[in-house]
Amino acid sequence: MIENTSGETPPANAAAALRVSAASFAYDAEPALTGIDFTVLPGQAVALIGPNGSGKSTLLKGILGLITRTAGTVEVLGQWPAPAGYIGYVPQTDQLDPHFPVSLEQVVMMGRYRSLGWWRMPAKADRRAVAEALETVGLGNRAKTRFGELSGGQQQRGLLARAVASAPRLLLLDEPFNGLDQVNRDALIDTVKRLKQQGVAVLVSTHDLDLARAVCESVLLLNGAQVAFGPRDTVLTLANVQQAFGSVGVEMDEHTIVVPGHGGH
Amino acid sequence: MDVAIPLFTAFDLPFMARALLVLIVLSLVAGLVGVLVNLRGLEFISDGLTHAVFPGVAIGFVWGGRDGLFVGAVVAALIAAVVLTVIVKRAVTSDAAIAIVFTAMFSVGIIVVSRETNYVGQLDALLFGRLLTVSPAEVNQTVVVCLLALIIVGFTLKEQVFRAFDLEGSRAAGYRPLVLDILLNVAIALVVVAASSAVGNLLVLAVLIVPGAVARLVTNRLWLLFPVAAGFAILAAWVGLALGYAASVNGGVDLPSGATVVLVLVAGYVVALLMRLALDRIGGPRRARGSAHEVTH
Repeated sequence: MIENTSGETPPANAAAALRVSAASFAYDAEPALTGIDFTVLPGQAVALIGPNGSGKSTLLKGILGLITRTAGTVEVLGQWPAPAGYIGYVPQTDQLDPHFPVSLEQVVMMGRYRSLGWWRMPAKADRRAVAEALETVGLGNRAKTRFGELSGGQQQRGLLARAVASAPRLLLLDEPFNGLDQVNRDALIDTVKRLKQQGVAVLVSTHDLDLARAVCESVLLLNGAQVAFGPRDTVLTLANVQQAFGSVGVEMDEHTIVVPGHGGH
Repeated sequence: MDVAIPLFTAFDLPFMARALLVLIVLSLVAGLVGVLVNLRGLEFISDGLTHAVFPGVAIGFVWGGRDGLFVGAVVAALIAAVVLTVIVKRAVTSDAAIAIVFTAMFSVGIIVVSRETNYVGQLDALLFGRLLTVSPAEVNQTVVVCLLALIIVGFTLKEQVFRAFDLEGSRAAGYRPLVLDILLNVAIALVVVAASSAVGNLLVLAVLIVPGAVARLVTNRLWLLFPVAAGFAILAAWVGLALGYAASVNGGVDLPSGATVVLVLVAGYVVALLMRLALDRIGGPRRARGSAHEVTH
């Protein structure tokens, strides 16, 4: 569908799409996250799990180069800074103005701006990429709708379509399941799976174990520092999760992590 | 008496034609820049910029008369735009910082002008403009400065819209907001400069802000906002100038032309607002309403 992917699943020993080594990140001088060490291979997905304020968004922003890295290295396909267009980022929708006069289609087109360059207007190929990205997330019939009129789940899928339209090699998603109903969850999971098949590497922060189980091979547990990283089922033990969430009262079932006093997510 | 006649006959006079030309050029650019001001909610910063440009206008005027005015104003505008962008980025509460720095700048401007012997008259011209005595040379200067602003915003329009909609997303895509912000603020400052001799420093803000706000009330379609804002500004300029002319010539009432144009702009805004409210009442509030000052829910 979108160019720049071969459609083959890469061999396991392929170069990492993302390699983070002994990295620490800081907001201004405040250290926010330390000791991060993990890799994401092309076509694979890693879930970032940790309590609120544990540094999940910080890590995503650190990989994007939006905050300072105070130690260690980050490489996207062996390079730093990541070449333009390598990373697709899906932020949380609640930071966007619902009254902004922009259509879904125009939001998705923003994913093409970087490859378009300054001044140039979108060409036929860009419009085709936008239409395909909208089909991929199942919103092909909402292209002309004003973005703010879409439901929260549709907005989230719209931002995913924007990332898809930029044909990224690494996709970063920040709590994509927040406030989503089952239909939107299924559509999102479906899209992420398809991207993985095309060789896109995925890093997704989430509270939701369903999402981790559905699409992620590995899990990175965070709590201001790295608690554990490894294959999903090895890492997601009750002991590890309790350590990450800093509470022995934490319970975990197949779907979710329940923190006492916070309710489940 | 036919009220429509001055709409056409008034502009047979060379000074009226020049005034209209200046306002049309200004409206085109202010419409474009003004939509971005509205989308970004930069009304207060724009207000700050008009104050900051004032000492430049004043120093330029004292130093080189009417010809010096533009040079001084452009230099002050560029400095103010860059300083402002950095202040807003650094300051925790940017409103206070803007208010302090720019009222201080405005005071400096007034002190500079007050050194002149013909203080009151000059100050008057700088604050309120002198649309009907704009010289052919000043028309050229206005066109050049407007063209600069147009190029800056035109070349970065889609990136500015991206940044206005989704700051984090645009940063993640590799755009540097500081660069985009400096460019937009420079464009705003250039519009302020271009408008200074025509409508004056105090009324520039209306030209920058009202057309964009009207466009938001009229349409929710992104790429329509820009022509709607520019078209509305041109219409208001035309009607305002003709109205001022008719009042002076036929009615014997001396209406200052710059202020008349501004009032026509504001009247147009009120009409658009009432129509929007009426439409929302009939059809339900399907559309988001315009102005950045409105409470969102």
